[in-house]
Amino acid sequence: MAGPRAPGSKAVPEPQCAEPLAGLAFVFSGELSSFSRDEAVDLAKRFGGRVTGQPSSRTSYVVLGDDAGPSKLAAIKKHNLRTLSEDEFLQLIATRNPGGGELDEKTRKKKEKEQDAIREGAREMEKREKAAMKEAKAGSVGSAKAVDTSTQLWTVRYAPQTLKEICGNKGQVEKLLLWLQDWPKSLKSGFSKPGKNGMNIFRAVMITGPPGIGKTTSAHLCAKLAGFTPIELNASDARSKKLVELVIDSHKPNQKTNAAGVEISDKSCLIMDEVDGMSAGDRGGVGALNQLIKKTKIPIICIANDRQAQKLKPLIATTYSLPFKKPDAAAVRSRILTVAYKEKMKIPANVVDQLVAGAQSDIRQVLNMLSTWKLSSSTMDFDESKELVKMNEKYAIMTPFNVTYKILGPYTFSPTSRETLGDKMELYFHDFSFVPLFIQAPENYLKTQPVKVRNLAGPEKDLKELELMDKAATSISDGDLVDGLIHGSVPRVVDLRSLICKVCRSEQHWSLMPLHAVLSTVRPASFIYGNCQQWLGQNSKQNKLSRQLNDVQVRMRLKVSGDKSEVRQSYIPALFPVIVKPLMDVGASAVDEVIDRMDDYYLSKEDWDTIVELGVDQNKDELVLKKIPAATKTALTRKYNSREHPIPFHKAQDLGKAPKKIAASEVPDLEEAFDVDEDVPEEVVEDDQGEDEDVSKDKLIKMPKANKGKPAAAKAKGKKG
Amino acid sequence: MSLWVDKYRPRTLDDLHYHHDLTARLKSLAASGDFPHMLFYGPSGAGKKTRIACTLRQLFGPGVEKLRIDQRVFLTPSKRKLDLNVVQSNFHIEITPRLVLHSRTYLPRSSCIYTVNSEVGMYDRVVIQEILKEIAQTQQVDLNAKQRFKVVIINDADTLSRDAQAALRRTMEKYMNNMRIILCANSTSKLIAPIKSRCLLVRVAAPSSEEMHNALEYVAKREKFDLPPEASQQIVEDSNGNLRKAILVLEALKMQSPDLSGPLSIAKPDWETYCHKVADMIIQEQSPQRVMDVRAKLYELLSHCIPATVILKTVAERVVDKVDESIKADIMHWAAIYEVRMRQGNKKIFHLEAWVVKVMSLYKHSFYGIDLDDFEE
Repeated sequence: MAGPRAPGSKAVPEPQCAEPLAGLAFVFSGELSSFSRDEAVDLAKRFGGRVTGQPSSRTSYVVLGDDAGPSKLAAIKKHNLRTLSEDEFLQLIATRNPGGGELDEKTRKKKEKEQDAIREGAREMEKREKAAMKEAKAGSVGSAKAVDTSTQLWTVRYAPQTLKEICGNKGQVEKLLLWLQDWPKSLKSGFSKPGKNGMNIFRAVMITGPPGIGKTTSAHLCAKLAGFTPIELNASDARSKKLVELVIDSHKPNQKTNAAGVEISDKSCLIMDEVDGMSAGDRGGVGALNQLIKKTKIPIICIANDRQAQKLKPLIATTYSLPFKKPDAAAVRSRILTVAYKEKMKIPANVVDQLVAGAQSDIRQVLNMLSTWKLSSSTMDFDESKELVKMNEKYAIMTPFNVTYKILGPYTFSPTSRETLGDKMELYFHDFSFVPLFIQAPENYLKTQPVKVRNLAGPEKDLKELELMDKAATSISDGDLVDGLIHGSVPRVVDLRSLICKVCRSEQHWSLMPLHAVLSTVRPASFIYGNCQQWLGQNSKQNKLSRQLNDVQVRMRLKVSGDKSEVRQSYIPALFPVIVKPLMDVGASAVDEVIDRMDDYYLSKEDWDTIVELGVDQNKDELVLKKIPAATKTALTRKYNSREHPIPFHKAQDLGKAPKKIAASEVPDLEEAFDVDEDVPEEVVEDDQGEDEDVSKDKLIKMPKANKGKPAAAKAKGKKG
Repeated sequence: MSLWVDKYRPRTLDDLHYHHDLTARLKSLAASGDFPHMLFYGPSGAGKKTRIACTLRQLFGPGVEKLRIDQRVFLTPSKRKLDLNVVQSNFHIEITPRLVLHSRTYLPRSSCIYTVNSEVGMYDRVVIQEILKEIAQTQQVDLNAKQRFKVVIINDADTLSRDAQAALRRTMEKYMNNMRIILCANSTSKLIAPIKSRCLLVRVAAPSSEEMHNALEYVAKREKFDLPPEASQQIVEDSNGNLRKAILVLEALKMQSPDLSGPLSIAKPDWETYCHKVADMIIQEQSPQRVMDVRAKLYELLSHCIPATVILKTVAERVVDKVDESIKADIMHWAAIYEVRMRQGNKKIFHLEAWVVKVMSLYKHSFYGIDLDDFEE
């Protein structure tokens, strides 16, 4: 195995100039002997190089270690790239001096151009600020807008003022602007013409994306540019159903202001910021908003972080989706550099890159970090930026997909990896209920090509692979035992062998979660890490079928003594030839007989479906249903519905809403239980209202119980007497 | 037109075909007027419920056979609604606490991908507490009833959670005047000791093959056909002491070939053949790809409500049949281990799969003649 043969054995050389690797693009492949991949990439960046993932014709050097990936080697050959060993790479850092003529013309020109752009941008900002100041001075004394820009937050001061200044998502912003400009026209046409982007049939759009990438800013800017007055309602405003409805009401001609007290004209544009934050206090808010959207006379822009959120489901159909992505580092970099120049801070480009990457492209955070930094120093070097990023590290929650990819990928467990056990466990905690499932999903842990068997071949490889899989599977199984202690409730046999079970016997041992993390995620991954593909496990319909089987068993109970699994294992195979097979073999004429049989066991048509659905192998439902002609099926349904059937029991639901708690009242026999059922509906309604207003009160008072006991008892008396 | 197994089920203690000493004991218990709490246990298809029903009839007369199913709704402390189906007559009530269902609850998003416990096992305590108290607090109102107490039958008592079992303890003593409890379980190992000590334990063993022959012949006689001894022999062997299965198989065979002569092939239930296919797949090839295929099949079995232990048992038996003598013991050893783990853990598939991979690994190693050095735990 390629090991950290000598981690840290080679010193980083002293370069001759500040950025010896400037203008070069690197690709790393394989394991270096002294540096981990991350460290090597860091080195290249620190000395001004660019690092890309895949080799292309524009790559200057490929740094090759042991076990380089075959696809990368092929690309090297194809593009005829120069390769470096680790030592040569260090040598390059030590000796290269691009300062003079070495830096080619193109790169220098590009750099100059960048510098010009930055200076230009900064100058413009300056101009605008001055103009604002002048206006403030010239304007009336009462003007509230006269704010000294130097007291503003950087995020406000440097918020983009034109479309050009918005970083990234250009296409989406243009779409938004176009939609807003077309809005009056679309309204006139009744939202029937889709327009160029197909957006003009929507009365509202929903912008979604991670925080700090300018969603709100873009919305405001576009609204202003399209000539609308933005009205923003965000999470700090109450947005309950009532209030949102007030907004609707305010469209009536005699009332011109909305809940927020802002005047509404047909030139207003409603920006509902942080829609996914409509929660607890904003009961029914999303639904009301949806109603509003359906008949609004002004454009509405909704902004949210997670489009998939359950809460936003109603809005998906009525709004046009504008997903904003994180802007790429280059776009953010030039903007940040402009700001830094304007603030007279000396920050090299690679440092900015570092900051941007660390903040997950959150422009707002980078600006905040810089403005704080400015207080103590006006320069920043690479190491300082790393530290700063570390301090402000943003814990982006990774999706289970990414976690799985990361932990099963070749690097997390490679010998040169610097990640500690704690770091790996951290991955589990990104989503502790899902990550273990994803790891276990066959498509993940079975499909990896374990790095550990890369050097083997033939039967040896097969054996080793199976052995690794075995270990991983065992560990997952261990993990499940621990999971049982955390979430389980089943009485368990105490197993003295393992430490875990000694601790246990009950549930909710949340403190065992780190152990679960190791067993379910880290340990299996440590065996089988390698190249993995992503795939999500199939949906299990076990729940549904199990529930239906319950129904079947309950219905059959009067005739049959077996429990649920006996019904499945013995009765269903035995019933199959009697109630399903005739339909396949004989056809429609067997329907009567089949229905008789079903009635014998109190089976309904739904139960028949269940029995078919529960078949496996040659009795698999698809195969069976294919063999039954459609005419027979309809005959069965029609005949079944036309006949009377014995019903072994009554369902509580048949009598309106379910009673809250029959068992609580003293009900000696059945008839009175019926009476109680009938009493219930009003009570339940009352109850719901109570819940709306004050949940805790409801819990304490227990009104329904008092109500219910009386009539039932009274009736009972009446009957007995 | 019911199936034979239900048509010819014995209705009274006198009709029972085997375990005559047990029958005599039950009869004298019912007559004594001092009927204890009871715990019937034994394998499936041995006749536990039949005996319970017969005993009830002995106690209360034919009135107990007038059954009805009633659906009760409970509210848990966390305000979830639970449905419970209750089978009852005027004299007794029968509940299956594990079969409680949520009604109209909204499952969290995560559950659509994976479920921890399909049934709401943790709420069986609520059911036990509420139902038992309700029954215990009311006396028998029917003055003509033979006994002053009502009987509560709890099915699948071995699946009761510890909480529910604990909830039973005190109730069983406190309300002895009004109520007797009959527990029905496959094994007593999962019942807590206090419960066992409060009950009269009645073991209903699986019938011997002799007894099964008799029962099959009885059915044949009532259906007016001749049952050749070979056919009877074959059915008895196939059904493994499960009389229910034996009679169901007999009826299926009779439908297939009405004269029951000549070589018979007993049609295996669908799930069993499917399990055998899985076993064959394991032996044919050992690779990650194959594990995935196997897992898909296991998922299908599980989702079609075949219990994981049954799957493991059936597959393991088939695998052991087919492999070399030297690894048979190991395969069974691991099957046992993973069966225990399945009971301890939450997600059956993890353990099933771990076993499959283990078997594959064992098989491959023995195939190449290399010992797996760490197969001992």
